[in-house]
Amino acid sequence: MSESTSESAATTAHKGGHGAPTPAHGGHDAHGAHGHDGPHLAHHFDTYQQQFDAGKLGIWLFLLTEVLFFSGLFCAYTVYRGMHPEVFVYAHYFLNTTMGAINTCVLLISSLTAAWAVRNAQLAQRKLLVLNIIITIACACTFMVVKFFEYEHKFHDGLLPGPAFHPTEQVWELETFKHKHPEAAEYAEKLTKAAEAKEHAKAGAKPAAAEAEAAIIERPTEEQLEPLIKAGVIGPTAEDQTRPSKPRNAHVFFGIYFFMTGLHGIHVLGGIGVFVWLLLRANKGQFGPKYFGPIDYAALYWHLVDLIWIYLFPLLYLIH
Amino acid sequence: MADSEKPENADKEPKSMQGSSEEQPPEPREDATRPNPKLEPTEQDEPEAAARREAPLAADAHSGHDDHGLAHTMPVWMLVAVLGALMGLTVLTVSVTSFDLGSEGNLVVAMVIATIKAALVITFFMHLLWDKKFHLILFVTAILFVVLFLSMSITDRGEYQHSIDLYQSTTAVTPGK
Repeated sequence: MSESTSESAATTAHKGGHGAPTPAHGGHDAHGAHGHDGPHLAHHFDTYQQQFDAGKLGIWLFLLTEVLFFSGLFCAYTVYRGMHPEVFVYAHYFLNTTMGAINTCVLLISSLTAAWAVRNAQLAQRKLLVLNIIITIACACTFMVVKFFEYEHKFHDGLLPGPAFHPTEQVWELETFKHKHPEAAEYAEKLTKAAEAKEHAKAGAKPAAAEAEAAIIERPTEEQLEPLIKAGVIGPTAEDQTRPSKPRNAHVFFGIYFFMTGLHGIHVLGGIGVFVWLLLRANKGQFGPKYFGPIDYAALYWHLVDLIWIYLFPLLYLIH
Repeated sequence: MADSEKPENADKEPKSMQGSSEEQPPEPREDATRPNPKLEPTEQDEPEAAARREAPLAADAHSGHDDHGLAHTMPVWMLVAVLGALMGLTVLTVSVTSFDLGSEGNLVVAMVIATIKAALVITFFMHLLWDKKFHLILFVTAILFVVLFLSMSITDRGEYQHSIDLYQSTTAVTPGK
């Protein structure tokens, strides 16, 4: 706190020195002749308050364009989910909820430290400010590392948009599916075997096995059927009607997924860049009660990035 | 003179003087030796000048209480409490997925929780509660346009559900693929 009192005392003395001759010159002369009480007041602003308010209005306008920018993707999501809910149910089993939840917590913590950093800048708490910016950057980097592992996993499993979509695993073979719907997973397995046996039977081999399989799967229960129909594995929305498969056009989900999380990730990277720049400036002690705008604006941007993730997380990872 | 008595207002004074100088005749500004009409108010401009001198003081009184200069400062306990609430809501939204709440129930609950979280972030982390109301109006306007955008799209999508059903039924059987 001693840091803050000494700085505010210094600014008062500085202002006092400049304040006295001002009335004699009149308003306009003082403005032109470097009559500013600090190095961070841009020449086209009269007061720090004016400078801060102008910047604040600017960042809010920018945030509005960001909201509208992302709303296009949210619209694509809404329309496609309305048309093909089974694709979203199917695809969400491939996403790692734990990783998504970790990333949510990491971003929330970084939002706290960003908001705290604004307070530190306002109170000229230089050490705490530097520390909070470092934690914010660390959390942002953690987010990107988790994101990297998620993406790598998707690439490895062929979960890519468009023609690149070749999933290496069937949805009922996934642990997430088996854990949630054990009976349905078993039933899908049986159906697959039966379909294979049927094909063999057509080729003239093992007709007895096919009959046996058919007998087992004669009367499926609700628990066996419902999750599979909902995920488009069987039923009218399935790609292949003769055996359990994936829903048609499932790749569109991953197009939406990569676009939304990718655009969000680019924003996180941008945020890291901005906070690194602010860290260097904060380390030089450039921020104080009269000049903390850049920290405030960056924090506002960072909160918006957090805000978008708050919606992305349940929409992509927590589909029921 | 109010100006010489209060040097701490010196940084605010040029703003009001400059702003008002637009209405004044241009000559007095050029001549520094001439007495400034604003500092020696004449009869015709006295009410305005008095109001101008009051303005910086009023602004000081307004922003002065529990603020540190230019904007409101968030107390640490409030920030930490908001983070706690956000974490709690995250746990809630993850755990609620294990319950079946009907066809659209889970989506509605997840969106309600997300909106509460968003409101917490906007109100406290983005300190919009203490900010200028104009910024709130800007943000709400953007949200309104997003709602308009989404609701129009959803309504439009509902109109061609029939075509989707037709597509599903005519292209459903693809054996031997």
